[in-house]
Amino acid sequence: MRYLMTTLPTDDQAEFTEQMGREMGAFIQELSASGALLATGGLEPGGVLLSSKDGEITVTDGPFAEAKEAVVGFALIEVRSKEEAIELATRFWRIVGNGKGLVQQVFGP
Amino acid sequence: MDVGRTVDAVWKLESAKIIAGLTRLVHDVGLAEELAQDALVAALEQWPESGVPENPGAWLTAIAKRRAVDHIRRAQNLERKHELIAREQEREAEPEPEQDDVLRLMFMSCHPVLPTDARVALTLRLLGGLTAAEIARAFLVAEPVVARRIADAKRTLAEAGVAFELPGPGELAERLTSVLEVIYLVFNEGYSATSGDDLMRPGLTLEALRLGNLLAELAPQEAEVHGLVALMEVQESRSAARTGPGGEPVQLHEQNRGLWDQLRIRRGFAAMLRARDVGGAPGPYVLQAAIAVSHAQARTAAATDWAGIASLYNLLVAKVPTPIVRLNRAVAVGMAYGAGAGLTIVDELAADHALRDYHLLPAIRGDLLLRLGRAGEARREFERAASLTANEAERAFLTRRAADLPVEADGPTLGRAAADFLARRDLDAGTLRSYGQTLRRLRLALGDGLPLDGLDAGAVARVFDTAWGTAAARTWNRHRAAVRSFAAWASIPDPSAALPRRAETRSRPAPIDPAGLGGLLERPGVPLRERTLWLLLRESGAAVKTVLSLDVEALDLDDRRARVGGTWVNWRSGTARLLPALIVGRERGPLFLADRRPGPARMREEADLCPHTGRGRLSYERAEYLFKQATKSLDPVGNGHTLRQLRLGD
Repeated sequence: MRYLMTTLPTDDQAEFTEQMGREMGAFIQELSASGALLATGGLEPGGVLLSSKDGEITVTDGPFAEAKEAVVGFALIEVRSKEEAIELATRFWRIVGNGKGLVQQVFGP
Repeated sequence: MDVGRTVDAVWKLESAKIIAGLTRLVHDVGLAEELAQDALVAALEQWPESGVPENPGAWLTAIAKRRAVDHIRRAQNLERKHELIAREQEREAEPEPEQDDVLRLMFMSCHPVLPTDARVALTLRLLGGLTAAEIARAFLVAEPVVARRIADAKRTLAEAGVAFELPGPGELAERLTSVLEVIYLVFNEGYSATSGDDLMRPGLTLEALRLGNLLAELAPQEAEVHGLVALMEVQESRSAARTGPGGEPVQLHEQNRGLWDQLRIRRGFAAMLRARDVGGAPGPYVLQAAIAVSHAQARTAAATDWAGIASLYNLLVAKVPTPIVRLNRAVAVGMAYGAGAGLTIVDELAADHALRDYHLLPAIRGDLLLRLGRAGEARREFERAASLTANEAERAFLTRRAADLPVEADGPTLGRAAADFLARRDLDAGTLRSYGQTLRRLRLALGDGLPLDGLDAGAVARVFDTAWGTAAARTWNRHRAAVRSFAAWASIPDPSAALPRRAETRSRPAPIDPAGLGGLLERPGVPLRERTLWLLLRESGAAVKTVLSLDVEALDLDDRRARVGGTWVNWRSGTARLLPALIVGRERGPLFLADRRPGPARMREEADLCPHTGRGRLSYERAEYLFKQATKSLDPVGNGHTLRQLRLGD
């Protein structure tokens, strides 16, 4: 089963350090090699917001006033169980330190 | 959150490393696994109370290691104990080559000394962290069967003294082949479940991918490993597309390519590139991966590079000339160079005994026939394929394909006629059973829908050659008689014209080996007469009847021979030693005498009576009976041997 792990912007996000980079690199390498990590990436802050209401679609370019300057990212993983997804996410956060994120199962192909 | 499930998740991630490390420590994979299981049990007991530790993998490893050291301390042999502990302390100092340990474990669990299903079970158990119950469920067998398989495998490894080492250069290729085979077997069991209701059991394909990726990381210099990973990734990428809403199979060229998992395809391509970087002549897995990649690169079915795929199959057939690879080549050739060209190859394969019950042969033949506009024949092939598969989803699919095609003719069909023929009441059960076997084979090979008048001599001859070409003459003649009987009953021309009756040579049972005979002769209580007769038969090689007809006066003891019925019977030292005692006090009459005098009602020819004792000549029946009684214990079946078996060759 597949899970999408996303990090969310928070106020107390840890500073990115060189050691964190090394550990994260090794972690990503291990997960890719084992086949668990299918895709991963960072997301640009802001982005483009689309909203649709009564047939009218509004497109708004970011950045938005309330958005924080924070690195957010995602990882798509293939695991055997929800617990395994949580275990991998736990290892991720142990490297990163402060922050918060979501783990959601991906349905369908 | 369920702690038990967390323990299980951590276990599946870490168990291979833990067991591999412990095996290095205790030199016994069975013991290593038990110690690791102890750690797992400890986690299940303690975590619900104490909470899941911060680094659960390290926790499990530490506990397991402690158990191992405890075990070594408890070990009886003091010297050994010290040695092991010293070695262990030595090892703590240097960084552990953990990855190599896992690779060693993989080579061990896939060791050729184990039967294939044991390799599969043990690998899933030790490297996938699956429980016996999970393996049993995946392979649709009972849990105790898997548990026994794993226990037997561990014992076999211990008894064979399989070392926890990487194979040397001399055996690397063979050992690696065995590992790749196990992984691909797991994948295939998941990808095309060979039995059961579901076409796929996805857990197994992902497990195989995990094992393959693990192996690729541990042995990156082996092109075939990357080839296997590429093959599995690309095949797995189609998993969502290859079954329809009802679970029925969707063939490659009809699949919705939008459902192909591009992430997997990309991983497959990457593995393929790694294989290419390693270089060397492409092996079977790299070639199969290249074929899979070629399909994956085609945006539409029509855009498939069939000529390229056909030439890849040519290379593959040269390396792996199995009937199934040749069958796949036929498909590619059929697509690249026309259905007729494909059909020619398939028809050559139809004579292959190994493929006679393989459902894909008629299924592919049906496809090719359909493309050639021969719908009636195609229908029969699909029906035949449906009757041969054990997979429910596939059967339903093939039956539907057949049903979509027009019935060829209204006349009686082979299936109908055979059923009616076997429903006759004037035949005994044995005959019906025998006829039933013959007709079942004909129906499987030719299809129930074959019009009865299509049952010609050529078609029947092909079935006979494939099915019973190498069988005993008696078997061949029995099936031949059944076909003749069926043809006569159905009033169709006798199709046995092209089937010559075979001469039945009665096969001689194997001679008794010298050791068996030696033991027999030395057995206490065996009468002199029997010992002499048996030894004489062995030494002379003469017919039993001839030997029994010997008379005392015909013996030439000096030259070790006797004249009987115009020929000579010669013997050697063994018989020569016994004969004087057997004939002591006799000058004439039968050499071998019955135990009693014949009763008055059974008057004998004078030549068959002993002038000294009045006893008759030993009869063949009696001699045979005595020998059978004496040899019951030597015969594996327990019937005893015949006197003919004493003779060495004719």
